[in-house]
Amino acid sequence: MPQYFSVFKDESKLDINYVPPRLPHRGPQLNLLDQFFRFAFESPGKMTQRVLILGKIGTGKTVLSQHFGLNITKEAEKRNINLNYVHVNCRECKGSLFMILQRTILKFYPHFPRRGYSAEELLQALMQILDEENAYLILALDEVEALILSEGSDPLYNLTRVQEERLKAPQRLSLICILRQSECLEKLDPSTRSTLQRNVIHLEEYLKPQLEDILNDRVNLAFRQGTVSAQTMILVAELAYSEGGNARYAIELLWRAGKYTDASEMREVSPECVRRAVVSVYPVVRKDMVSSLSLHEKLFLLGVARRFKQTDAAYVSMGEAEDAYAIVCEEYGEERRGHTQLWKYVKELSASGVIETKVSGEGQRGKTTLISLPRVPASDLEQELSGILMQGGR
Amino acid sequence: MAIEEVFSSKGRVKILRILAEIGELNISEVARRAGLNYTTTNQHLLVLENHGLVRHKKFGRIRIFRFDEENPRARMIKKLIEFWEQTNKPESNHE
Repeated sequence: MPQYFSVFKDESKLDINYVPPRLPHRGPQLNLLDQFFRFAFESPGKMTQRVLILGKIGTGKTVLSQHFGLNITKEAEKRNINLNYVHVNCRECKGSLFMILQRTILKFYPHFPRRGYSAEELLQALMQILDEENAYLILALDEVEALILSEGSDPLYNLTRVQEERLKAPQRLSLICILRQSECLEKLDPSTRSTLQRNVIHLEEYLKPQLEDILNDRVNLAFRQGTVSAQTMILVAELAYSEGGNARYAIELLWRAGKYTDASEMREVSPECVRRAVVSVYPVVRKDMVSSLSLHEKLFLLGVARRFKQTDAAYVSMGEAEDAYAIVCEEYGEERRGHTQLWKYVKELSASGVIETKVSGEGQRGKTTLISLPRVPASDLEQELSGILMQGGR
Repeated sequence: MAIEEVFSSKGRVKILRILAEIGELNISEVARRAGLNYTTTNQHLLVLENHGLVRHKKFGRIRIFRFDEENPRARMIKKLIEFWEQTNKPESNHE
């Protein structure tokens, strides 16, 4: 076998789910979280907490929460307190409280039955488990917008109020809600909103030097020494800064640039590799986003992308999109979903920012939803989706 | 319960083997894995529970069964099953 040189030492350190040991420029926010949850050590069971983490994409919301979760559970273990941190992405759970609670319970009972009860019953079961195991839980709801958009106020109301029904029982369930825009909170009823907005941590976009520090840390962890020059790192930081201080984008760009370097059998990640990577990474078509879509969402999006490839129009109608999706379904040997389900997909894809929608106005007979693809070339989206579907990423 | 009452029923032995392997499960899942219907599984589990070999925890309408580790007989049967399964593998030297 030929000798293969890679610039990577450990590329898993650039993975979206990796939690680094150090969080540059998020120290104050981490301290604030520690302060909010100090009671967990000083008087466990006497109170619970609700914290809101707000910030744009790639500002470190998820990693901040996960880093905090790792630290606090380690500290609790030292003090013999059964404190658990569970991080659930609401978008991956299709905005369903049932699925969120199910994932949470599976951490405690890996073989808990997957069907046959309601979300309310599941919440009661979770509280029972916590009581029986004398455990405390910090439940981090990432991308909580998905939950609010899909189920409205009730889930958060129930989660924040579950303790109130348990008079004199120990307080066990704390919440961290992570979201991009506070506007979404307006959909909540006033009492739930006020409960949540008591403790807010706002994450500003990263500045260029801050992005450089983050990249520097990741380069040291993921790349072989001397394979990424300072110049390359500055270029990546500049590009990510222009994308709204998006650290996640910076890290993905770095990873892709590394992959291009390996593919070209070079020994150093050059700015040219970064430029090639830029063309292939669109901030809205991140790997994690696309791969978290369900099979039929992917097929539908593929249909939309193909439709846009054939037309110069800025919008395609829902009907045209459905027709394109039907052809894709045929190609992949899948049974097509009905209109109502597709309409739900459109709403979800629009909420995640991949597509944009508007209702047709004057000049068109009847009323239909018009879909646009404002941020990514249709051909690139098609390529990305076809690649994932081909690899069996269903 | 005479020992033959446990081991003479294929269904009961299957259920015990599944619980030994998985740890804890609800009735429907035990039934699915054992290839038995719900009622039969429920009846077997009741018999096993009455004799202290398994126990259940209730979460609302859900009952989750597992070996009763506090009962020495249950512990021994679980060990026997585990040993049996371990030595049953083709690559094992205990054949």
